[in-house]
Amino acid sequence: MSWLELSVEIDQEAVESVSELFAQVGYNSGVAIEQPFVGSPDGPEYTIDAARPVVVRTYLPLDEHAEEARARIAQGLWALGMMRPVGELQVKQLEEEDWANAWKAHYPIRRIGERFVIVPSWLQYTSQAGDVVLNLDPGMAFGTGLHPTTQLCLLLLERYAVPGQRTLDLGCGSGILAIGAAKLGAQPVLAIDNDPIAVQATRENVERNAVGEVVTTVEGSLGPGAELGHWLGSDWATKQRRAHPTAGPVAFDPDAEFDLIVANILANVHVLLAPHLQRALKSGGTLVTSGIIADREADVAAAFAAAGLAQIERLQEGDWVALTHRRP
Amino acid sequence: MAKKVTAVVRLQLPAGKANPAPPVGPALGATGINIMGFCKEYNERTSSQVGMIIPVEITVFSDRSFTFVTRTPPAADLLRKAAKIEKGSGTAGRGAAGSITREQLREIAETKLADLNAVDVAGAEKIIAGTARSMGIQVNE
Repeated sequence: MSWLELSVEIDQEAVESVSELFAQVGYNSGVAIEQPFVGSPDGPEYTIDAARPVVVRTYLPLDEHAEEARARIAQGLWALGMMRPVGELQVKQLEEEDWANAWKAHYPIRRIGERFVIVPSWLQYTSQAGDVVLNLDPGMAFGTGLHPTTQLCLLLLERYAVPGQRTLDLGCGSGILAIGAAKLGAQPVLAIDNDPIAVQATRENVERNAVGEVVTTVEGSLGPGAELGHWLGSDWATKQRRAHPTAGPVAFDPDAEFDLIVANILANVHVLLAPHLQRALKSGGTLVTSGIIADREADVAAAFAAAGLAQIERLQEGDWVALTHRRP
Repeated sequence: MAKKVTAVVRLQLPAGKANPAPPVGPALGATGINIMGFCKEYNERTSSQVGMIIPVEITVFSDRSFTFVTRTPPAADLLRKAAKIEKGSGTAGRGAAGSITREQLREIAETKLADLNAVDVAGAEKIIAGTARSMGIQVNE
């Protein structure tokens, strides 16, 4: 799909006015503002440089309405130009692929915990004794191993995954955790996600890591989770679904089936699914949950306690918390 | 080597609704950070404010890690709320869309002060008054 990027250079004082103008026509009312800054030469500190001009951008789908929107912006900028200096409106055509893959150039080989090594599928890595190598192309699914929520789960998998354990990965994204568990010997592993893009990414990554005999991937969720839809919501998710039609998510509600469940999702989904997660665990089974932002931790902990799960460990990195529970 | 700042990007987005489409994808893809990681964080942090536009200032570091802080809603949204109107006149200086009082202007300037790179409230008031004028909102004395 093609897009138009509209941008203009202005002074700091006009940012609010121009943002308002751009938000009226921009996709998703979105505006991006590139702030000039002065960075410290040897550390992460910086200050905003208010003296230099700011670039404000917005984006429109390149369709039959694009020209009208561009003209409207140009007219608005002309009127603003009566009051203060406004640069020339710049228009650039962009393709979705231009940005969808841009981050890949900076996706490094990364060691996590004691044994895991995340290797982007397009890079070469010679493994050393004891390494558990995960070859990944996350595509547009969540789970690169770069995010603290994923890293905490991998650390906890190293601690709790035991060969032969029946394992569930709820909200599998790229499949990174299901594959990690399988490589530590857990089996069989069921990987489920409501997002068809994630299911496809997991299947490809399972294949890439030669764990297809251990890991089964299904589009679905636990109980009411199947009705939640794509985790990003909005019309973007609807469009993705239309582009990748499937039979839709399956609702699982297993009873005492898993030794280990790992779920790196969001706080409100943990709260919603707490009783279903509890029921899916065998007695003595372990539940590793992540994706919990610190200020929602109390809600999640309360929901798990109410479901009859006992907390055995808590890890935090930055604002993100991972909790481990056991079914008594 | 200590990490350094490589970009500072401010995005205005509907709370809880970031996705890889524009502006998030193109604005952040170029900086090299993982877009899905940003979407997950933004949506989780703003989930209680759905229905509002919540700007974020994202700092990208040389190791492609990032941090962000959420900011106050855009001046235009605060002005619309104060003037009790849905939309500005759309064209700067043309047609009056509504009006606010001096006190309301000062209140908005105080709310926005930290985010405007203004020296003091008087400076912030000047910026907000300019935004109001560009939206066709009058400030009554």
